[in-house]
Amino acid sequence: MTTNEAVRSRGNAEGATGSRSPRGGAGPARLKSRPADRIFFGLSLGSAALIVVILAAVATFLIVQAIPAITADWKTSPELSAGPTAGYGSFWSYVAPLIWGTLWVSAIALVIGAPIAIGIALFISHYAPRRLAGVLGYLIDLLAAVPSIVFGLWGIIVIRPLLLPLTDWLNQNLGWIPIFAGKPSTTGSTILAGAVVLAVMILPIISSISREIFLQTPRLHEEAALALGATKWEMIRLAVFPYARSGVVSATLLGLGRALGETMAIALIISPSIGFSLRILTEGQNSQTIAANIALNFQVADALQREALIGTGLILFVISLAVNIVARFIVSRTGKSGGTRRRVQLAPPEAASLRVANDPALSPVRGTSDKAEGASA
Amino acid sequence: MLARRGHHPEGNTVKFKHVATAGAVALAAAIALTSCASTPSATPAASNKATSAATPLDTTLTGTITAGGSSAQANAQTAWSTAFHAQVAGTTINYDKSQGSGGGVTNWLAGSYDFAGSDAALTAAQQTSSQANCGAGGALDLPAYLSGVAIIYNLPGVTGLKLSSATLAKIFTLQVKTWNDPAIAADNPGASLPSTAITVVTRSDGSGTTANFTTYLHDVQPSIFTQAAGTAWPVAGTSGQQGGSGVVNTVTAGAGTIGYADHSSIGTATAADIQVGTAETFVTYSAKGATNAFAAAATTTPSTKGDLTQVLDYSKITNKDSYPIPLLSYQILCTTFKDPAQAKVTKAYLGYIGSEIGQAIAAKNAGSAPLPAAILADVQKSLALVK
Amino acid sequence: MTATAQSNRRSPQGGMVNSLTAGRLPRFVEFYVLAGSLVVVGGAFMLLGFNLGGWIFVSVVLYLIVLAALSTLAENRRKAVDRIVRSVVTIAFLLAMAPLVSTLFTVAAKGIAQLNWGFISQTGGAVFDPQTLKVTITAGAWQAIVGTLEITGIATLMSVPIGILTSIYLVEYAKPKQWMARTVTFLVDVMTGIPSIVAGLFAFSLFTLIVGPKAFSGFSASVALSVLMIPIVVRSCEEMLRLVPHELREASFALGVSRFSTIIKIVLPTAIAGIVTGVMLAIARVIGETAPIFMAASFTDNFNVNPFNGPMQTLPVLAYTGIKFPGQDIAASVASAWGAALLLVILVVLLNIIARIVARVFAPKGAR
Repeated sequence: MTTNEAVRSRGNAEGATGSRSPRGGAGPARLKSRPADRIFFGLSLGSAALIVVILAAVATFLIVQAIPAITADWKTSPELSAGPTAGYGSFWSYVAPLIWGTLWVSAIALVIGAPIAIGIALFISHYAPRRLAGVLGYLIDLLAAVPSIVFGLWGIIVIRPLLLPLTDWLNQNLGWIPIFAGKPSTTGSTILAGAVVLAVMILPIISSISREIFLQTPRLHEEAALALGATKWEMIRLAVFPYARSGVVSATLLGLGRALGETMAIALIISPSIGFSLRILTEGQNSQTIAANIALNFQVADALQREALIGTGLILFVISLAVNIVARFIVSRTGKSGGTRRRVQLAPPEAASLRVANDPALSPVRGTSDKAEGASA
Repeated sequence: MLARRGHHPEGNTVKFKHVATAGAVALAAAIALTSCASTPSATPAASNKATSAATPLDTTLTGTITAGGSSAQANAQTAWSTAFHAQVAGTTINYDKSQGSGGGVTNWLAGSYDFAGSDAALTAAQQTSSQANCGAGGALDLPAYLSGVAIIYNLPGVTGLKLSSATLAKIFTLQVKTWNDPAIAADNPGASLPSTAITVVTRSDGSGTTANFTTYLHDVQPSIFTQAAGTAWPVAGTSGQQGGSGVVNTVTAGAGTIGYADHSSIGTATAADIQVGTAETFVTYSAKGATNAFAAAATTTPSTKGDLTQVLDYSKITNKDSYPIPLLSYQILCTTFKDPAQAKVTKAYLGYIGSEIGQAIAAKNAGSAPLPAAILADVQKSLALVK
Repeated sequence: MTATAQSNRRSPQGGMVNSLTAGRLPRFVEFYVLAGSLVVVGGAFMLLGFNLGGWIFVSVVLYLIVLAALSTLAENRRKAVDRIVRSVVTIAFLLAMAPLVSTLFTVAAKGIAQLNWGFISQTGGAVFDPQTLKVTITAGAWQAIVGTLEITGIATLMSVPIGILTSIYLVEYAKPKQWMARTVTFLVDVMTGIPSIVAGLFAFSLFTLIVGPKAFSGFSASVALSVLMIPIVVRSCEEMLRLVPHELREASFALGVSRFSTIIKIVLPTAIAGIVTGVMLAIARVIGETAPIFMAASFTDNFNVNPFNGPMQTLPVLAYTGIKFPGQDIAASVASAWGAALLLVILVVLLNIIARIVARVFAPKGAR
């Protein structure tokens, strides 16, 4: 991850943390520590600590609530063998298909939504006429304000009927592909419809943040690229993308977070069944997501069943954790060598030195280590 | 003040007006109830010269009632709380309909609610755990809201559809797949049925309506509907929609669709006539039919003193005046409140719900069916035990 | 990546020469090609049977192919790729605008009929007529507007300072390898995955511990929303702060300005536009939440302005209940639900405008 790496190398940024590490050449001189400084540092550290406390509290709450249902014997418990949890041998056999459904639906939504969202961000930041861009960006932001219940209703009113012909067509012509197989839906309550709506819901999140980040690309880099004869696309690929990669991935993760946890729209649109199914065009054979399952059954669940549902919530928690870890790992692997090396190659000598001053990612120490990495890679 | 009143809203509005003209004070006064001889079907109620034990509404009561649960009762609760507040101005009633029955009972067991609305009576385990908050007396399940499960369909060109219980069970277990299936044709001689595929629309969320409907199917056609009854729809492959409104909307929007919903929420959707008993008798839903069915099928099986848990025996619903799939919802409260003042307000409100006037208000504003007078008298007796 | 490197290497040699010698396509070539493909495909579809979706889809594919071919022949491969990307990005944008416009249009069209001054300014409720036993429900959103503003406002007041301070800690103070910074970054990631219903349950349970079983209050809903908001604020602010050029900080330090003043006077104003966008996104994300609100603040038809006691009504819950539990007059319930949804969107627009004005006032001049 470029920026993380950047900060890591920023040996000078530690002033107030009381570090005794030797200061790098480019860093500021030893700062005077004033009371305001100390208070402010205390406040920010306190806020960070508060987050740890909040999350610990939520996690404790989830675990305490979930344990009775996870450890219970689902076959003999009178509460768990009725209602929404009826017919499962254990917590794990209940939650496994839900995990699958959550990942499956979110993945489809992300595949549909993320490229379009990044395309929008790019269009607004680099292709649209400047005057129009503000308005368009605003319109997209507006979409984040639409409550998910409205997306759900819009999905029912607009998307479900709209996708019915496509559903039939895909089923008839591409039905040999497993995901398009099965008896096509007649009401439109398919995963496809749900994923399309979900994709629209995550668009504003991904595109707003990506747009801000694209806009932050130093103009110097862009102009340097253009001056070297790069086409606009080459400029974007060489100057904008490497600079924005970590931010875009972050934005996509936020979008994925929303997709994973989205309840209402999915619950309204998709006609679910708890099971492992790849099919996205059928009715009643659609894999169910954890969040929607909680929303749909929480209201009739009694105490132990509620705890079982909270247990699935705990699993959702763990899933998003895992997704985040994987994504961070991917970013840290692709982010450092690829991005910076290319920039070093591209930038003319003068611009490169400017960059070093400009961008913490390329402080002298970092630059050399980067070259070493580049050579070894 | 005495008033001769019937216990069904249909055709009785004049009588209600009689009572009503006397105004709020009249409502607050004790209303002696005598059953109306013109409704022969409600024989158990009629034979029991029920005298409502309702204490007069104390219009000086103040307090806030926090409650929630069953969404089936949502509209009725709005009507009840508005009417109650109109007479007892010092009270505020917050009924959270978004919780659902399970949420209502859970919150009530935790002590967050003064009473819970629930489509199912407390289980034995819940009854035991209620003693933590309610003391040794436990809790009371009081019937409060009666309606029926309507079978709605949308089949262009076909109206007045009749369905036997066997056909119904076959349709909802996906054994009958097209509308011109011989089973449906046999129920509807002479009707021209298209070969359209049947799309069965069910609830994707857990629901008391599903519990009532599956219990009915399982009790009446155990060999066809072999799945266990419960709040979650048990047959895979149907089109699951969220909420009664989701089912109604999807059935109305589709073609060849069929689904089930609380009759009071179906709006303009078309409901099928359902076979009652084993003969070829098909009944259209009516509030009176639901009341009659409840009177015929329900037996009180108390779990604690004063408890009014009802067990419905669907096989007893055979009269053509009865609608075969009634839907019942309870109010659940403690016998002993921690705060006597809170008990007083809650009792007054639930007593109002369990009075004939309360039932009439729900019937008028929420489309429910009034509970038989006999059970209302029992409700008042049980409420008298609450302190 | 390999391709990139190659094209880079090629650009100074082949590309440069080419662009000077080779021809250029006329200025509006994209429009001509698009119009041409639309006509050709339209004609073909007329013969085969017309289908709007198919027509547009096939036209676009044809357009891309023709454009690529023309550009490759007349210009060079790099130019062709550039033109294709430009077209694809524009198409992605138009493709995305369709649902966006459709959603906003649906909300506006369905909600506008309900949106009048009476609906906004009066508290919804019901009137009982003892004569007829009829309960008349009056649609009104005032208590829901107040509830939404209070609950979201308190949540914002709690989570924005915490979020910004935390991101300042992460970017300005902490060493990335420090366990604290890593833990916080990691936990913020984890927090984005908290299902909203769980946040509601958590807040309600927390307040049950503090104030006893009847813990329903607007404030507990605010806490639930804060749990959802904080990670969004931290994530977006962190990104924005990291993008502030380091030279600005260094220049400030070099002048002997303290770290505190540097952050307040240099870093935050530079990043303010991005931070405001992040905060607005966070608000927009939680203002429409239903599940945590009805878990923590319950639901009521009564007007309650005290966020610290008793159930509160909010716009999203009004919309949700109007749709999910319609009254006897289903059309009226659904109409007021759409009205509430439209109000919610309008509310966010207003907040957005205010926030942008604030950001503009504080942002350094000349920034993009």
